[in-house]
Amino acid sequence: MKLAVVVQRYGLDINGGAELHARYVAEQLARRADVDVLTTCARDYITWRNELPAGESDVNGVRVRRFPVRSERDPDRFGRHSHHVFRSSHSIADELAWLRSEGPASTALIDSIRRNDAGYDFFVFFSFRYYHAFHGIRAAASRSLLVPTAERDGAVGLSIFAPVFRGVRALMYNSFEERAMIQAVSGNDAVPHVVVGVGSDVPARTNPDRFRQKFGITSPFVVYVGRIDENKGCKELFSHFDRYTRSLRGNLLLVLMGNSVLPIPDNPRIRHLGFVGDEDKFDGIAAAEALIMPSYFESLSMVALEAWALGRPVLANGRCDVLQGQCLRSNAGLFYESYEEFLETLALIQSNRRLAFAMGQNGREYFQRHYAWPVIVRKYLDMLDRLRADDQGGAARPPIEPLPGWFARRRTGCRAGDEVVAGLPAGPARRAGRRR
Amino acid sequence: MPPEFSVRSDSVDVDQIMSQIRARIREKRGVDYTEEELRTLASVKLEKFLDPTRVRSDLIAHYRIMREPGEASAGPPENYAFDDHLVYGSARGVSGRLVTRIRKLLNPVLKLFINPNPIIQVLHRQSAINEYYDRLAVLNFELIHNLVLEVTRLGIEVKNLKMRVESVSGRLDFSDRRARALESVVQYRPGTGPAAEMTETAAPAPAPGGGQTARREGEAPATGGPIKGDAQRARRRRRRRGRGSAAGQSVPGGTAAEEPTLGGQANDEGADSPDARGGAGGGLPFDGGEAGPAEAPAPGAGEPTDQ
Repeated sequence: MKLAVVVQRYGLDINGGAELHARYVAEQLARRADVDVLTTCARDYITWRNELPAGESDVNGVRVRRFPVRSERDPDRFGRHSHHVFRSSHSIADELAWLRSEGPASTALIDSIRRNDAGYDFFVFFSFRYYHAFHGIRAAASRSLLVPTAERDGAVGLSIFAPVFRGVRALMYNSFEERAMIQAVSGNDAVPHVVVGVGSDVPARTNPDRFRQKFGITSPFVVYVGRIDENKGCKELFSHFDRYTRSLRGNLLLVLMGNSVLPIPDNPRIRHLGFVGDEDKFDGIAAAEALIMPSYFESLSMVALEAWALGRPVLANGRCDVLQGQCLRSNAGLFYESYEEFLETLALIQSNRRLAFAMGQNGREYFQRHYAWPVIVRKYLDMLDRLRADDQGGAARPPIEPLPGWFARRRTGCRAGDEVVAGLPAGPARRAGRRR
Repeated sequence: MPPEFSVRSDSVDVDQIMSQIRARIREKRGVDYTEEELRTLASVKLEKFLDPTRVRSDLIAHYRIMREPGEASAGPPENYAFDDHLVYGSARGVSGRLVTRIRKLLNPVLKLFINPNPIIQVLHRQSAINEYYDRLAVLNFELIHNLVLEVTRLGIEVKNLKMRVESVSGRLDFSDRRARALESVVQYRPGTGPAAEMTETAAPAPAPGGGQTARREGEAPATGGPIKGDAQRARRRRRRRGRGSAAGQSVPGGTAAEEPTLGGQANDEGADSPDARGGAGGGLPFDGGEAGPAEAPAPGAGEPTDQ
């Protein structure tokens, strides 16, 4: 079977959530199938500037084909379009203009997908919201699988995406919450789908003592791993932890791993280690009392899965439906929505070792059962086999809905994206297919 | 295909733990008010708890009105997303598009007279500023709403604390009076007790009639006081004997004036007073600010204190 993974950026030094997800999946599938990656020459998602050479290259044993981006993103123009389509009534033409301004607009990539000159059986598209996924799926809908990596933002509510969600051959969701949201917005329940997520290469053995010695940490600590950014909920985390240290005596530290775009508070019980390698990251998580995940928007937190794989409990922001749902389904983490809850949950994890251990064990089991690579790869391969069997069976499938005509496209009748999303069902899915 | 996800049902139940944590938080917040009730209180009747002359109790209502759509007089108009195409645009459908096209074609001619670009940029910037203030207004609303909630919560807490303070101070008074009453009925052995000490310190010479005195605290030593006290006690003993079987029985809740005492005039003077009636009642259980102790004599109040 010949597969193409299509993603907006690709490379070892590109650590965006969807891009890393795509690389992991491509590398894993490459062991079982003939996999190419189709991507752009961009490295920076703000500008989409062509920084990498066009053509073929090899990344960790996977063949990568890069195509140039036609024009860089103009942030001002993109901002104006975003404001318009997310906040007010607009037309399909406005949405298409927004998509063009968002990028990465690589017509060469879309042409290649349309021609299918390499004879791919299926294209696996990542990130529904970008130019490459929208136009690529429209160019080869009958061979397209989509990994939406959708968050609860206005883009999901745009009218142009509903036909895409209905028109792909299959969807590989990251979580039940994501599935419920996309099904509610597009009514694509009939499209084959599976909640699959992504695995992680967690080492079988870790060395917490080595981490403690290396960084001189003797006290118990909780750890945050990721970009230290207000959008990730870190500002609220700092505020909560600061109050926590003033409320409760003790020596619990908050250890931060990752680059910071936010000033770190001057608190002796907050330690910032900067960007660390994988070994330090995994040893650090294993040494911690718990992992804290304060983000409001996650389609699937890979670092939370890694903590569970290492047998550590997670303390998550309960305002993120996906994180709350993951904690409830796994019984491996607590969550908070206010400072009082943060105080209680953190104190409970710190003081009740049995509970923390039991949650860690649950997390480990949850990861092994649902996110170990053999499970993930099996889900992908099963879905691909199913689609191929459908093709061989000659089942008739309606083509993807075409875009409206010239006049209809310019009719102002689309609701604001934010308004559409606000009307979608919210809350964690406690079980498969059920919401609170 | 491997099975999809299932929920573990082991001993750890995160849902239940979170419910317990939330219940504990509600309990800690106390005063029997849930978050929902607090919100209702905050949005409806703040003057119940706050000084209405100093705080606008309808602040939230005003903000709400401003935020409701269709309130043209109250709220600002919707922000206008400004675009460089707008200055050339027309809303006349197909003919409008033709007009737009002609305007764009004639744009170079227009630029011979004026430069519209700065105007477009300024208007675009104004749109961004409007958006910024929109966001700020939302934050302000949240802030004020939270402040009102906190003020309400604090108001309720202050009210409760006031009641507790009143109750505790009533109880303290009660205990104080009880202690005085008990002190006044203590019979000291000759030559001991506070009276004897006072006499010794005031006059080194021994007082006539010995030291069998037990004055109330603060009372000025009267001339011949001890003798008078003895006579009264003797009278009272005779009266008691005369009452026969009633002698020595205490009347729960009755006035201590009827009771036999050995402590001098304390009961004569103080037994009918509310203080003494509240007397040795053993104290009310603290109930957070109900009726004061003086109004609720406990069983056994004014019981005999013979020693």
